[in-house]
Amino acid sequence: MLRFIAQRLVAALITIWIATIAVTLLIHLVPGDPVRIMYSGFQTTEAEIEAIRQRLGLDQPIWRQYLMYLGRVLQGDLGHSIVGNQPVLDTLLQRFPATLALTVSALVIAVVVGGSLGFFAAYRRGTAWDFGAMTLAIVGVSMPHFWLGLLLLFLFSMTLGWLPVGGSGWRNLILPALTLGLATGAVIARLTRSAMIDIFDQDFVRTAHAKGLPKTLVLYRHALRSGLVPVVSMLGLQFAYLMGGAIVIENVFAWNGVGRLAIQAVFARDYPLIQGFILFFATVVALVSVIIDVTYALLDPRIRYGK
Amino acid sequence: MTAPADPIAAVPVAPRRAVWALLRSPSGAVGLAIVLVLVVVALLAPVIAPYDPFRMASGPRLAPPSWDHWMGTDQLGRDVFSRIVHGARLTLMIGTIAVGISLTAGLLLGLVAGYAGGWPERVLMRLVDVLFSFTEIVIALACLAILGVGLINAMIAIGIASIPFYARITHSVVLVEKNKPYFEAAVAAGASHLRLIFLHLLPNVIPTLIVVGTLGVSTAVLAAAGLSFLGLGAQPPQPEWGFMLSSSRDLISRAPWMMIFPGLAIAITVLGFNLLGDGVREVLDPRQRAR
Amino acid sequence: MSALLQVRDLSVSFGRGAARVSAVDGLSYDLHAGETLAIVGESGSGKSVSSMALLGLLPPRAAHIDSGQTLFDGQDLLRMNDRQMRSVRGNRIAMIFQEPMTSLTPVLRIGQQLTEALVEHRSLSQRAARAKALEMLRLVDLSDPPRRMRQFPHELSGGMRQRVMIAMAMALEPDILIADEPTTALDVTVQAEILNLMRDVQACFGMAILLITHDMGVVAEMADRVVVMHRGKKVEEGPVRAIFDSPKAAYTASLLAAVPRLGARSAEDGPRPIIAQPAEPGEVVLHAEGMSKVFPGRGGIFGRSSGTVAMEEVGFRVRAGETLALVGESGSGKSTSGRAVLRLLEVDAGRIELEGDDMRTLSARSLRKARRAMQMVFQDPFAALNPRISIGRLIAEPMVIHGIARGSELEDRVAALLRRVGLEPEHMKRFAHEFSGGQRQRICIARALSVGPKLIVADEPTSALDVSVQAQVLELMLELQQSMGLAYLFISHDMAVVEEMAHRVAVMRQGRIVEMGPRRDVLNAPRHPYTAALLAAVPKPDPSAPRQKLPRLDLKDLPMGRLAQAAHDHWVAR
Repeated sequence: MLRFIAQRLVAALITIWIATIAVTLLIHLVPGDPVRIMYSGFQTTEAEIEAIRQRLGLDQPIWRQYLMYLGRVLQGDLGHSIVGNQPVLDTLLQRFPATLALTVSALVIAVVVGGSLGFFAAYRRGTAWDFGAMTLAIVGVSMPHFWLGLLLLFLFSMTLGWLPVGGSGWRNLILPALTLGLATGAVIARLTRSAMIDIFDQDFVRTAHAKGLPKTLVLYRHALRSGLVPVVSMLGLQFAYLMGGAIVIENVFAWNGVGRLAIQAVFARDYPLIQGFILFFATVVALVSVIIDVTYALLDPRIRYGK
Repeated sequence: MTAPADPIAAVPVAPRRAVWALLRSPSGAVGLAIVLVLVVVALLAPVIAPYDPFRMASGPRLAPPSWDHWMGTDQLGRDVFSRIVHGARLTLMIGTIAVGISLTAGLLLGLVAGYAGGWPERVLMRLVDVLFSFTEIVIALACLAILGVGLINAMIAIGIASIPFYARITHSVVLVEKNKPYFEAAVAAGASHLRLIFLHLLPNVIPTLIVVGTLGVSTAVLAAAGLSFLGLGAQPPQPEWGFMLSSSRDLISRAPWMMIFPGLAIAITVLGFNLLGDGVREVLDPRQRAR
Repeated sequence: MSALLQVRDLSVSFGRGAARVSAVDGLSYDLHAGETLAIVGESGSGKSVSSMALLGLLPPRAAHIDSGQTLFDGQDLLRMNDRQMRSVRGNRIAMIFQEPMTSLTPVLRIGQQLTEALVEHRSLSQRAARAKALEMLRLVDLSDPPRRMRQFPHELSGGMRQRVMIAMAMALEPDILIADEPTTALDVTVQAEILNLMRDVQACFGMAILLITHDMGVVAEMADRVVVMHRGKKVEEGPVRAIFDSPKAAYTASLLAAVPRLGARSAEDGPRPIIAQPAEPGEVVLHAEGMSKVFPGRGGIFGRSSGTVAMEEVGFRVRAGETLALVGESGSGKSTSGRAVLRLLEVDAGRIELEGDDMRTLSARSLRKARRAMQMVFQDPFAALNPRISIGRLIAEPMVIHGIARGSELEDRVAALLRRVGLEPEHMKRFAHEFSGGQRQRICIARALSVGPKLIVADEPTSALDVSVQAQVLELMLELQQSMGLAYLFISHDMAVVEEMAHRVAVMRQGRIVEMGPRRDVLNAPRHPYTAALLAAVPKPDPSAPRQKLPRLDLKDLPMGRLAQAAHDHWVAR
């Protein structure tokens, strides 16, 4: 088990390390002069451009730049943003709680709604209930989540007036979390259904029935507990998609998280901020997937007591 | 991405029977119908659209749906229906080209990594896994930060962003097929690398990729609409659905039709490809039929 | 004596409308208290389906019970509601299944799985249920029961899991135990232990056993009476001796004739001659020496698990026209050895010579050329043929690769090969899934023959086939060997099949050859205790033979060292 956790942590570190390389390469793949592109909105002289280039280390050979960048990252310095000249890490950390609140509440909604819908559909496999649940799920999967957001906004905020349109209080969190949660819930419903159907077809479920156990006991003790393993194992990926989805949803609801910051950075060609965001995103996703991997390992004795 | 990476069971289906089976599966038939309608609308857009999608003041500004303007007009007086009809062209183009890019590259990567085995496989797939965990949207944002915004760039960005997904699926199918005795039998017969890859592996990988590619069009359409919605994709005055949605944002309470119809168009398109993908899977994979 | 269970006119089908397939058709039989009734048949005979139907365990929407009555204790099992059925399941009628590896819930401890039915049916306290479970584990001869209770299924071997299944089934002292192929997935020595255990348990509890099996040896060892099924119908029923001695139905007779019997050729040196002048063993074709292979354990930077020794110091010779059989249980390294010979996997050490050429030193290019001389026939004919390439092209492929023929000549050769293995040239255009298992194995053989190989490695070529089909494929292989002088490396777990096919035998255990020599010497007078145990464990398809307990094999003291010569050409591990 300890070895398993150590392996997952190493995998996470590799992910983050590759992210640092990708982020360094990013600025070099920009066609043209990145400094000029970044500062195209400012009045700059040639000398100033050269000074910036030197300050960013862009006049150095690429491997040198990478080592410098890695060195600074290890000290927690992600550079300064072009717009506003703020430390990138501080800006990200300041915005992150909002994104975390959004993604975690959305994940809870997604797991509760999607998980129960998928379990129910699998249990009633082949019936009208199953068909209805899966029709709902595929419509949910197909709906652009930003459109769903606009529809909810139109319905609850503008027409019914139940919820505020913009702002940063907990009441403002309801709609974005619901939007993101329902969209992801549709995906989880489909995955859960197919995982549970696989479980229901397993020999050990038949054994449990053959023992004469009540259906509910077979369902919860044997099937559901086994089904949790594959379902939880795919949550890591779903969380990554939630984080990705949050980028768009934050913009729909003017929710001041890191996603909104990222889009502004892409528009402004604020490369230090973009680099910082990608690295930050990769780190969060990697760490969360370690947590989720460990959770599912705890659920599965084959890993918990694995050799 | 909802497509599970299960390889498809290996029983070939004759093309004629496949189409018939597709029509008999409810999701396949509905999906095929939606996609066909979309293709026809895109091809005949100038004939179907009652107005020029770019002409301002085709009618009054922000007019609600009426006989003259079925889906109302936007803030510049353009006919929303005509813009949606022309938007179908952009959407289908983005979907197929983006999938084309990611499918080709992903197939090649996954095939080579899976066939080669050993350390090239480990390094390549490790990298693919890492990129995969970055999620498509972040990779696409990174690509757009490099390339700059615009519809074509968004399309390329989405294509690149999905490569890891296709590489992973191809790789997992190759691994399964490579361990089947028929592959070993071909090795034992003395088959060359090219013969093994293209005659034995590829035909058994393709069915899975047809399914995944079909489902992938819907993901690509969604992603492109999302980027355009954020203003990173289509630029004015392109009649792109996601972009139309974003311009409706500030007018939702005054002109909800500007928000409802483009969103509906995206949802129906995505649903069509999702259903078609599910239907094709049912046809190509008999195990799914029993479900 | 009135029957404990009366099955009358039971019919079960799958699917509806045009896709409807009848699985069981008008089956009737009686099961009496305390007896063992074997339902025997080949795949697709409906034997499993009919027993699953008794406990309502068929997949609910796929299968339909069309008619019938199954009276148990005055009640019809087929017409019970959920609650009534539950009070019978596990309680009055218990069941054990074929796959012990998947039949226990992986996330629950053995203890919980053992006690939950006791708590449910007997309303025992946890404490009392635990005591009963421990007693049952002791009864099925599992060591250290308290520890087993805490373990998870993945920590036990297949044989141990099947013991747990039996303990679980018997804990409630049911009237009937349904055993659905209970030993098919197990090695032969483990099978013998489990069959023994079932007999002991029956003597102890006196329940009736409904034994579903395809194996005539198991039937002869276990059954009092037999029901023979074929394509969903009962073809014959009777006491076990009558079935074996004087079968009335032609199908039963042909089934019995096809069963390979260990000892049938004990008086002969070689296999049965199929053609008038069979080729005699000639020059050495294959010479392998000191082959070793360790599969590295998984794991990254934090140290590897030690890895599995798949082969250690394995060596043998095979002559033209001769069959060397590699026998052993699962994990013995026999398949690894076969694949190593073909260089389908790389050995860590050793020498492999095919007609004097050292295979291990060949370049990739010359290896491809050398593959002409050696071909392989696989265990699972369903997976051994590429599903998306027509049979004609598959058979032609090796000839195309080695540039042997092209155009119409190629087609003629494929047609001739198809005819040679007993198929029609018209089959060329079809795909693998359109053929039965036996036909597919014939196609695999045709493909292997196409390049005129000297050596064929056959890895359990008939273990996926029904006995009647197995007999035909084996005969084809013998005939080809005798007329073409082929050398076979024949890998098998089935001693009776080995006796029929082999000139010489090598017995493997844990990656090593423990005994090797002429078939007649090794099988008639084994010199290694493991060989003797393997032979003793084989169920004999002869109900008149005494049903005896097996001597326990002391695995710790088994000689597993280097081979030493014990007699002419007869080698035994020290």
